[in-house]
Parts: sequence; C-alpha cells; structure tokens
Amino acid sequence: MTKAVRPRMSPRRRRQALIGAGYIAPSFILMAIFNVTPIFLSFYYSFTKYNMATAPQWVGLDNYARLFTNRVLSEALQNTVRYVLITVPLQTVLALIIAVFIAENMRNRYGSLMRSVIFIPVIVSLIASATVWDIMYQPKGGIINQLLNFFGFASVNFLGKKASALPSVAAVAIWKNTGYYMVIYYAGVMNVPADVKEAAIVDGTTPLQRFWYITLPILRPITYMIVTLGIIGSFQVFDLVYKMTGGGPGRSTYTVAYVIYTFAFQDKNYGYASAVAICLLLVILLIHMVQTVFFKEKDV
Amino acid sequence: MKRKITFGVVLGIILVTVFAVICLLPLVYMIAVSFTDSESLYIRFKDLRLNFSNYTYAIVKRDFGTALKNSIITVIGSCLLVDVVSAMAAYGFEKKPVPHKEGLFQGYLATMMIPGQVTLIPMFVMINRAGLTNTYAALILPMVGAFGILLMRQFMVAVPDELLEAAEIDGCGEMRRFLTIVIPLVQPAMITLTIFTFNATWNNFLWPLIINTDPRMRVLPVTMSTLASNSTTNYGMVMAGATLTFVFPFILYIFLQKQFVEGIALGGVKG
Repeated sequence: MTKAVRPRMSPRRRRQALIGAGYIAPSFILMAIFNVTPIFLSFYYSFTKYNMATAPQWVGLDNYARLFTNRVLSEALQNTVRYVLITVPLQTVLALIIAVFIAENMRNRYGSLMRSVIFIPVIVSLIASATVWDIMYQPKGGIINQLLNFFGFASVNFLGKKASALPSVAAVAIWKNTGYYMVIYYAGVMNVPADVKEAAIVDGTTPLQRFWYITLPILRPITYMIVTLGIIGSFQVFDLVYKMTGGGPGRSTYTVAYVIYTFAFQDKNYGYASAVAICLLLVILLIHMVQTVFFKEKDV
Repeated sequence: MKRKITFGVVLGIILVTVFAVICLLPLVYMIAVSFTDSESLYIRFKDLRLNFSNYTYAIVKRDFGTALKNSIITVIGSCLLVDVVSAMAAYGFEKKPVPHKEGLFQGYLATMMIPGQVTLIPMFVMINRAGLTNTYAALILPMVGAFGILLMRQFMVAVPDELLEAAEIDGCGEMRRFLTIVIPLVQPAMITLTIFTFNATWNNFLWPLIINTDPRMRVLPVTMSTLASNSTTNYGMVMAGATLTFVFPFILYIFLQKQFVEGIALGGVKG
C-alpha cells in the first residue's frame, strides 16, 4: 500500500489518483451523510433540549445528569443485561456444540441438510418471527400451551407475566441466532487440521478430551468474535420487544434500544434520547475494546 | 475411514434432528395457520387445504399488496445502489493510487462499530429537513455502508494488476476496464453482497417505521407490526402476512444457499 503524497506525482499517477477519487466519491458522500455526520450530531443533540419544532437548546450535561436518576432507564439497563446473559451463552454454546458435532459425526448429506434447516430462522425477519412466536405463546390456544395441556400441564401466560416475558422474548432470539453462529463455527471447525485430530485419536483420547483440549482452544478466536457480536447484537434488541411485549408487562421488557425509541419518537425528547444513545455507544465501544485486548493477548 | 457408531453418536444425531425440527416448526405452523379457515388456533388437519382466502384478504384489505410493492422496490433499489457504489469504491481503494486512501478506509471501517440507535435520531432529523420522508430514497440511500465496501475489497485484491495493465496497453479505456474486466471477476462477491443487502433491506424495521409513516409508503415488516395479535385477531390473515414476508428471502436462500452461508462465514471470520 502506497501512502503516496509525494512531492511530485507523475502526470499519469496524478490522473490515476483523480480517477480513483472519482470511484470512491459516491461512497464517500453517502458515508459522510448517513454514517459519519449523524455520529457528531448525536453527540451535539445529547447536550441539548430538542423536540424538532424549535431549534436545539444547549443544556450542557443536564441530559446526562438526568440519566442517573431515571428509574425507567436503570430498569431498562438491568433488563438488557439480563437479556444478554440469557441469549449469548445459550446461543453460543448451542451453535458450538451443533457445529462441532455435525462436523465430526455428520459429514454427509443428512448433516448438510440439518445445517441448512438450522440456518432457516436466520433469514426470517425479526418482526415475522415475533408475530409467529407471539401467536405460539398465546395463553388461549397457542400451540405451546396446547402442547403443555396435552401433557397435562397448566397453561402459561408466557408474555403476560413479568417473570416469564423477558426469557420468552430471549428464546425467540436464540431460535433465530443459533443457525447464524453455527455457520461461523462450522467454517472454523473445518479449518482444524486433520492430522492434529488423527494424532490425538491414535493417542487414545476420548472425543470429549479432543473437544476440550484441541477443538475448543483452536476455536477460541472465533468464540471471542461470536460472543462479542452476540453481546452487541443482544444489547440492541428492539424489534422483538416492540412487537411481542411493547416493553410490558409493566416495564419488565423495557430495553435500552426500546427506551431510546420511546424517548425520541413517542415523547419527542430527541436530546435526552441522544444522551441514552451515546451511552449505548460507549458501552458497545467498550465491548469492542475488551475483545480486541483479549484477542491480542491470547492469540498473537 | 471406518468408524464405530456409538450410542453417544446416535443420541447426538437425534438431538441435532430435534433442534432442526424446533427451528422449522414455527414456520410450518405459520404456513399451516395461514391456510386455515378457522379464526381459532386449534388446527384440525381436516381444515388444512390450499385456501388462499387469508392471502387475498391480507393483500386486498390489509394493505399487504402495497407493502409488498414498496418492499420490492426498496430492495431492488438498495441492492443496485449498494452493489454499484461498493464495487466502485472497492476498486478505487484497491487499484488506484489515491492519497490517504488507507486512512479513509480505516475511517469507513470504524463506522461499522457504531450501533444503529446512535445514528437514528440525527438521520431522522436530516431526512425530515430534506423533505424526504415517505419516499423510497429515504429507505434506500442509508443502506450503503462500510461492510459492502470491505467485502468487495477483499475480492478486489485477487484481480491481477497485470491484467488491467495489459488491457490498458491494448487501448482499453478506464470505464471499459472496470465494467468488462473487474466486474466479472468480482461477481461472486457481488452476489454475496446482494444477498446481504436484500436481507438487510427486506427485514429492516425501525428505520422504515419512523421515517415512512404514510400507510401507502409502508414496507412489509411495518405493515406486519400494525396487526394486533390478541385473541380477537384473524390469526390466519396475520400468518398469511408473515408467510408473505418470509417467502421471498426463503426462495432466495433455496437457490443461493452456498453464497448465503459462505458470505456469513467470510464476514464472520474476517470480523
């Protein structure tokens, strides 16, 4: 890569540079407008009182100060963390076990069929998933309660009870995400050198030992990445909550992204909502940094 | 290779199968309910027949026709825009001696870490100010992002410089080199990117929800979200809507499964 700002460019090179700039220009304009400017504006709004009807009014750190005393937000943060703690470990472990098992024992047409099927929920839109699961969760006549009744259990109001609403939403996310991470893990398992495995088999190790001492350490970088992607994705959960519970019952499924939405687009409190969004940004950047640090220490 | 089939392996195969069934069951249920007459959820197999009345009702009476049209236009527009802009940018970054290009590229990549909620409010304000609410442009223009450019650039590396130089010596102009040599060589990446853009646009919800509030400009997931799903609902119709939302990406998946999966594995491994 030439970082070329030379004192004198040859005419041909200069022409090529100009043409190149022309190729980059459309992306530059769109990225500047839709990906970069909004970040700075978001910071700016977070220091203002703004409802779009009148110009933003500078209030300094007021919005941030109010964040710490806001009960809605602290509940939302707790719910979001709980949601992350349910979805990420389960989807990661399920994806890992299924990918490794299929790679080792089902490298045939049936295994590839299973991989294809497990991936299907990934392509279903979150709103369609939420709609279907919402109906499946219905206390009266929903298929899950029909099954429970069939086996002699009482019906459960999955989304209507504070204790069960958040885990029920999380279950949909796990259903939808596992296939995605399974595909990434599977690609990783296929990269494990075969001779390492064979040597271990000759040494008389059990499959469980091989999984624990060979496969898992080799997959560690992928695991870091999947956990990071998973945490960041789950931290931003919105569509499922919007469609399935609307934050309820009570505020038991309010999440950070949902709070941003309600502050901004229901209360028209764009400055305050921006302050929440900036905090979300800081959390996510922190997660990225933690991953980078771990990744560097253990694998380079 | 001969291997012993142990009890553990059989159990594992059964468990994987059970999980696959769990993955599929909600969708089978969705399709089954969408074809039943009854407004109750108790599906009886004798009610199951190819009955499209829920679909006609959803499309005619509940605006799913409009939403379908809007979704299709938005998806086609987004895929074209993202493909063209990303391919051009990747070519410029990889093959042209643009000053400071690596710094700019790092800047692009940095935007990938920014969560959507952060850019949402300013984008909403900007699109409002520009008078672009309730337009296709509002849905299409923001779909360009660093991911597509990164993906295309990874493939652009493999385009040999010698080939481009030889073509230039033969008098092949800049435009023609890009269109007839570069584009065909990076076609696999374009297919992958198209799939990604298709899914991202088709399933996009929050942005279209807030920016296109006119019912005539709603896309499928937004129309879907306006249907209540309590006990007074016509479940068959709701499920017909969900099936309509599902069926287009599903057809794409059936035909382009390899590219779907490879794209994700690639995006994942590169991080």
